[in-house]
Amino acid sequence: MFGQIAPVNQYVKLELRRTFRDTGFVIFGIGTPVLMYLMFTNVGGKADGSSGWAVTAMVGLAAYGALSAGLTVGTAVAEDKAAGWLRQLRITPLTPAQAVVGRAVTGSLMVLPAIMVVLLTGAIVNGVRLGLGQWVALILLLWIGSLPFTMLGLANGYALSAQTTNVTNVVTNLFLAFLGGLWFPVSEFPGWLAAVARWTPAHRLGQLGWDTVQGAAPGLDTVLVLVSWLVVFGAYAGYAYRRAGRRA
Amino acid sequence: MTKTHEAAPVVAFAGAVRTFGEVRAVAGLDLTIGRGERVALLGRNGAGKSTSISLLLGLDEPTAGEVRLFGEPPQHAVRAGRVGAMLQGTKPVPRVTVRELVNFVASSYPNPMPVDEALELAGLGELAGRRADRLSGGQAQRVNFAVALVGDPGLLVLDEPTAALDVAARRSFWQSMHAFTQRGKTVLFSTHYLEEADQNADRVVVIDRGRVIADGSNTDIKQAVGASLVAFDLQGRSAPAGLASLPGVLSVATRDGRVQLRTADSDATVYALAQLGPVRGLEVTSAGLEDAFLALTSPATTSASVFSAPTQKAGS
Repeated sequence: MFGQIAPVNQYVKLELRRTFRDTGFVIFGIGTPVLMYLMFTNVGGKADGSSGWAVTAMVGLAAYGALSAGLTVGTAVAEDKAAGWLRQLRITPLTPAQAVVGRAVTGSLMVLPAIMVVLLTGAIVNGVRLGLGQWVALILLLWIGSLPFTMLGLANGYALSAQTTNVTNVVTNLFLAFLGGLWFPVSEFPGWLAAVARWTPAHRLGQLGWDTVQGAAPGLDTVLVLVSWLVVFGAYAGYAYRRAGRRA
Repeated sequence: MTKTHEAAPVVAFAGAVRTFGEVRAVAGLDLTIGRGERVALLGRNGAGKSTSISLLLGLDEPTAGEVRLFGEPPQHAVRAGRVGAMLQGTKPVPRVTVRELVNFVASSYPNPMPVDEALELAGLGELAGRRADRLSGGQAQRVNFAVALVGDPGLLVLDEPTAALDVAARRSFWQSMHAFTQRGKTVLFSTHYLEEADQNADRVVVIDRGRVIADGSNTDIKQAVGASLVAFDLQGRSAPAGLASLPGVLSVATRDGRVQLRTADSDATVYALAQLGPVRGLEVTSAGLEDAFLALTSPATTSASVFSAPTQKAGS
């Protein structure tokens, strides 16, 4: 068992170092959701901990940060493919499964700071107050719930060229975040759009958080929709990796 | 390591074919390499060198035929850490130091050499703390070399390791390589340069259009294609008689008032040439790959027959 995991650990260590040295990623990936949160809650009337909007937007933008950070892993993968690093990895004893898991774990770990910084801003700047258990549940649920986006980002990175991946991720990011109601509540959408939104992974990720701050457990339908998207994007990632191996 | 692995040849291509649409990049390749051999795969661009290496490393699968590494399917040998390779067109990984990168690769192998030893062998001692993506072309290639050898693999595969290097970097690369191969490792490298093949391999395999067209020791190849070209100006006079029978000379050609002698022994040829009278504009150069190909592929040249034909080799 150890023999299977140790190389993955080393790989994750290497990739985390690389990601954190990418200052552009760290600043924009983590900073953008925070900036949007501050704008949404402080422009046109100060929101404070007692207003529902400060909490709703905090959860929405933390989910948005998680979604963005998850997708970003794809850009890094596409860059590695172009540099020949994926090919070089394939001729080390690291197995394809270990390589994909290592990348997914790295991508997933990158999601955590993006979530936590928005929550911290909510607590410090907007005075959002939740129970300790709620904060912990919020972080864990948003983190685990972001896994479908990490898989989607990975899949795009394996399937597409570096530039195409970039553009695809930006478009996917904006589209999913908007449609999912992470920026503006779905309740303000026209009826038909709101109905569509409820089937999207981004909305269900937000729902995990909104349920938590209400003190409710995540609904079964929410979990089922997210797991379904995880299966779909995971299958896409596996397919894309095998295909990339043949061509790269 | 089991007994079968010890007995099996390190590399075995048997009728390997790889087609891309209409193109037969590898067209029935037969090649067996034993333990401890240092083999050069010589061929021009598009001859099928890189595709053969991809098949060998399990990065690609043959359309037909079979490729084995240490008697196993290539991917098994790669997983077991028996192979280290330098691929063509690999750019340094961004945002890691040389040591971090080499350290990671070492950690993925079952029995790696100490990282410092690998860095030392590749001539990277002073660059260990530098970022891999901020090095010169020659230095970056050394990093790729360190990555290939740090696992202390039984087989080292190098795809045109010196393609983008200048003369000084090329020389120091081969010095590093010798330090490693003295440990009795099996090495397969591809190159365009006959001179590199001659100096760094015990056996030269020439491939063209996806198949082996010649396979022999570097002495064989020198004799067959002529290790060097001796050229001089005629300055309006006609070529002296008997050039073709001078010591070492394999062929004579006259072009634009210059005589070109292909020779297996340039010293003897030049000495004998000087006896015939004054020589103007004398030039001695190593024969290039193009010359080797002309000598090997031209039907008129009988000298290619000193090589054992691949079909005869396959049975032995």
